[in-house]
Amino acid sequence: MFLAWNEIVKNKLRFTLITGVLLLVAYLVFFLSGLATGLKNLNREAVDNWKADAVVLTDESDKSLYQSSLTLDQAKEVKADKKAVLGQMSAIANNGKKKTNVSLFGIRPEEFLMPSISEGNPFGEENEVVADASLKEDGFKVGDELSISSTDIKLKITGFMEASRFNASPVLYMDLDTLNRVKYGEAVEANKDRINAVIIRGEQQEIADDSLEVIETETFIKNLPGYTEQNLTLTFMIYFLFIISSVIVAIFLYVLTVQKISMFGVMKAQGISSFYLSRSVIAQTFLLAFVGVAIGLVLTLVTGAFLPAAVPVSFDIPTMLVYGAVLVVVAIAGAVFSVLTIVRIDPLKAIGG
Amino acid sequence: MTVLELQQVKKTFGSGRTQVDALKETDFQANEKELIAIIGPSGSGKSTFLTIVGGLLSPSSGEVILNGQPISNMNERERSQIRLREIGFVLQASNLVPFLTVDKQMKLLDQVKKGNMDNAELEQLYEDLGIGELRKKYPADLSGGERQRVAIAKALYTNPSIILADEPTASLDSDRAYEVMELLKHETKSKGTTTIVVTHDIRLTDYCDKVYKMTDGVLTLEGNENR
Repeated sequence: MFLAWNEIVKNKLRFTLITGVLLLVAYLVFFLSGLATGLKNLNREAVDNWKADAVVLTDESDKSLYQSSLTLDQAKEVKADKKAVLGQMSAIANNGKKKTNVSLFGIRPEEFLMPSISEGNPFGEENEVVADASLKEDGFKVGDELSISSTDIKLKITGFMEASRFNASPVLYMDLDTLNRVKYGEAVEANKDRINAVIIRGEQQEIADDSLEVIETETFIKNLPGYTEQNLTLTFMIYFLFIISSVIVAIFLYVLTVQKISMFGVMKAQGISSFYLSRSVIAQTFLLAFVGVAIGLVLTLVTGAFLPAAVPVSFDIPTMLVYGAVLVVVAIAGAVFSVLTIVRIDPLKAIGG
Repeated sequence: MTVLELQQVKKTFGSGRTQVDALKETDFQANEKELIAIIGPSGSGKSTFLTIVGGLLSPSSGEVILNGQPISNMNERERSQIRLREIGFVLQASNLVPFLTVDKQMKLLDQVKKGNMDNAELEQLYEDLGIGELRKKYPADLSGGERQRVAIAKALYTNPSIILADEPTASLDSDRAYEVMELLKHETKSKGTTTIVVTHDIRLTDYCDKVYKMTDGVLTLEGNENR
């Protein structure tokens, strides 16, 4: 560390630039990680709030809530520690000032899907809903009457709940009967026992009905439209950034090492071992990477605090720490080329023999 | 007391028609407190001699004995240790680390080798070499002569038994060159080391106890302490 630190102190500008590059890469990685987490949450937070173990859908729906349709009689066949029925439809809600995509969830208030309210009251009467709190940022408030696309029925917001978005849309929870009237209109009588899914908590028993399929919650989420593709895209971007940062560090350090070949050669001639010199390069890389990553982390969190709520960023500190550690490790891996160069330096050539 | 001995040491490069005998069979002895000059034209084998003695190059045959210990067949790691403990190098271009102050040049050696000079001895060394005022300066802030004086201090700091100086005055004007040779002589005598100076500047041999001439790989004694 002695050699590493003194070189940094003497060549502040050079090492500040290297740290700056690492900082920017770390900043990008952390920001993408925040974006990945935010987009994940955007898709799944309503499902996460269910604290469910599995979702029962029809077999032919191919694990899609939107395509699944079963009856309450079929739901009775599902035996589990706890179960709750769920009807769902997507729509456009309009409070007279603003239109927005929403996901309507029809539930039975006495079952466990009933959300906790953060503002206002739970729905009680027909046509009453509780809405995801993100709608407040769009100007929706308790008491608003919402027009819903494809129906004349008006829904009234009685309260808000936190973090309840599904597949990137805010959720409106309501009684199952209300949902079916919105969903089926005049055909409600024929479809009043229609639901999309049965949600299960705890152990489920064998389901006799072959037309139903039990899907673990995580599998259900992964099959949400676009969810896996979106995650994979961002994850690949992060992984490529790891590789890029390793290459950047490798190039920088290699150039620095090549510039110092003569000096290292003289030091080796004096009996200073390749191990000591290599350790110094590794220590230097660790120091630069650690500082770059730490500043990148702080900068990301500061930036996050100033971003508008519309940007789907959510910082998961443990994940960011893991990514930070990976960045430091890949930076050190990038120093391997320099270490190999040092090991191969012939002290004889350095002193002109 | 004999510090360095070469027994029938020979170095050959290449083979067949391209074979070059850089150093023909050579016997050589250097004793404590001796300042020895090796002179000769470029390509005569001076540097080959110095690098073999310094454990940087293995001889093709023969044996190099340093303080009674044969070093020719040692592996690189062992020779590296020998260089660190027993040999001090002073090179034509100064062998200083550009981003370390004079003080830290010495501290670097403390990092890799224990048992160097204590503070009082270091202060004395600085005083002897006239570099006490330079301790906070970087090599780039020093003149050529000052750099060589610091390089000598660095070579002496590890208490080596032998100092190998390869054209230590090549980059200096005459006055500075004589000054460096005077210092090498003084330190050789006062510290009890052995110093071998490779040079092509015949004027510097006045400072030496023995002068050897290298011609086409053959080392011959030109003069001794009676010079």
